[in-house]
Amino acid sequence: MRSQFLLPGGLLAIAALGALALIFPGAAAQASSTSKTLSASVKACGSVNLKGVTTTYNSGNPFASTNLKCSDGMVIHYGNNSITYVNPPASYAATGKLLFDQTCSSCHGSEANGVAPNGQATIGPNLQGVGAATIDFWITTGRMPATDVAAIEAERKTPRLNDKQALQVAAYINSLDPSVPAVPLPNLRGADLADGASLFALNCAACHTITGAGDALAFGTNAPSLENRQVTPQQVAEAIRIGPANMPRFSGNLSDTQVRDLVAYVTEKIQHPSNPGGAGLGGVGPVAEGFVALLLGVGGLALICFWIGERS
Amino acid sequence: MSEDVSEHEPSRTKVPMPIATLSDPHLGDAAKNPARTESLIALILLVGIVMIAGFGAAYWQNWNPWIIGGTMGAGLFLLGFGLTAWGKYLMPQGPFVEERHVLASSPEERDSMAAALVERSAVVVKRRKLLGGLFALGSGIFGIVAIFPLLRSLGPVPGTSLDRTQWRKGSVLVDSNGRTVNAGTLVVGGIMTVFPKGLQNTPEGQAIDQTVLVRVQSTDLVTAKGRETWAPKGYVAYSKVCTHLGCPVGLYEQQLELLVCPCHQSMFNVRNGAIPQFGPAPRPLPQLPLHFDDEGNLAAQAGFDQAVGPGFFERTTTKENGT
Repeated sequence: MRSQFLLPGGLLAIAALGALALIFPGAAAQASSTSKTLSASVKACGSVNLKGVTTTYNSGNPFASTNLKCSDGMVIHYGNNSITYVNPPASYAATGKLLFDQTCSSCHGSEANGVAPNGQATIGPNLQGVGAATIDFWITTGRMPATDVAAIEAERKTPRLNDKQALQVAAYINSLDPSVPAVPLPNLRGADLADGASLFALNCAACHTITGAGDALAFGTNAPSLENRQVTPQQVAEAIRIGPANMPRFSGNLSDTQVRDLVAYVTEKIQHPSNPGGAGLGGVGPVAEGFVALLLGVGGLALICFWIGERS
Repeated sequence: MSEDVSEHEPSRTKVPMPIATLSDPHLGDAAKNPARTESLIALILLVGIVMIAGFGAAYWQNWNPWIIGGTMGAGLFLLGFGLTAWGKYLMPQGPFVEERHVLASSPEERDSMAAALVERSAVVVKRRKLLGGLFALGSGIFGIVAIFPLLRSLGPVPGTSLDRTQWRKGSVLVDSNGRTVNAGTLVVGGIMTVFPKGLQNTPEGQAIDQTVLVRVQSTDLVTAKGRETWAPKGYVAYSKVCTHLGCPVGLYEQQLELLVCPCHQSMFNVRNGAIPQFGPAPRPLPQLPLHFDDEGNLAAQAGFDQAVGPGFFERTTTKENGT
């Protein structure tokens, strides 16, 4: 996966990095110096749509990164030891356009801008400027292309396009309006699972439940199960950073290291629960557990009492 | 033995102990052919013993908890099962009938008892007014003393403590790690839980001061009349304590722009001042007026203008800025 991204990418923007190192000595930046950094870097890396990206606390912001790599004015990758954000190569865009025209354009418009040929708004939203991570998440989870466009939510299902095709579509849409966040590749080695657990309890458990089983929310929506082992570390990191559908976006309040810890906790503990008691009963809480205790426990005891008291 | 009893109590009927025979109607089918039943029960008890031994081994070797629990449970169950089956199938079963002797005393005995009582009470057994009075005094004093802890357990009068949180004018918003919040921390659709700076790790701070910070849009948001400046750059803060029963309202649906309480599904619209849109919550979540301070960090313009959380008897909705 990684090797696909690390194609020979052209020249490193050494000048930009030098400027960054001068202006950006620490991770915590004051607002004023950040804006200076941004304007300097945007020039070095071409115009990049920063909608939805915060400027603080290494939160998916390419220009807070000392690891930024640009070529031909395009962001190739950025990030840190915890997460590397990678844009699919520009050479994917041509195939991506074909795939987009076949599978996406009827709902999102031929220019991916949410405008139909007759000037009306399409069923699907404008996709320009959402960043490669958003496109990759929706396609690799099988939620897009949707089977029922009138449904309240696009459910997870077997993906129609494979991982490479998802990146090709992402490359095409990103080429229309270069944006971030790029596709996050979390480096789970050395992740702090205990930190991930407490962050999960604080930020995720409200909707996904403490065991990650997922739960119903308002008006027919629901928080999906994270116990599903088909959910990849990349998809978890994408969901945290982009906030798909009704999920909030976690940007400046979670650092890349914290996101990495969360992803490790979800993919190593939530998806592989130890269940020391034997059966987890789906981890859906006291109703299921109380039902089993009543039916098997109390019911079994009642049968035994009946047997003891019965005259032979 | 039976001779002695019948000698002193002539009224008791003499019943000879019957010799048990296999034709005894109290013996069940299994007991009439005990060899097979006994070996079956012995087998059950043996398996139980093996399980108990396995429990010891599992505990010693620190095997999986479910093996430890399973062997212990199965062992105890099988021992109990064997014991019950032993009593049920090998022992004689009732009902057994034993004729009882006459319980009442003879008229002579009753008369002599009555005479003895009348004779004694004149001298030894009489009413003791002193002791009775002292006991009544002790009981009365205890009754009075017991009133004090009863009244005290009603607790100190809460006064205005329920109306106020630790949010004050100028309180800086921080997350649970003490990090401040500036204009770039959240993007539209983001959510975090904030506390007044300095109190983020104290029990009081986490209990009633917890406040949910949501960014609804990138420009200033007006949630209600009179709250024009309360949500700068789309950052809006509401008390995280549900007005229904005090659960943490931590679920945010960013497309529906609703805060959802996980306990009873109350839904609060973040755009119009958290007016309940569904569910049992009786009041909107109190909104915390925000502004950016001189250092660019989000801070409170004032405390909550009303008591947070569920209702209580003395609750008023009058404005009480916690300044």
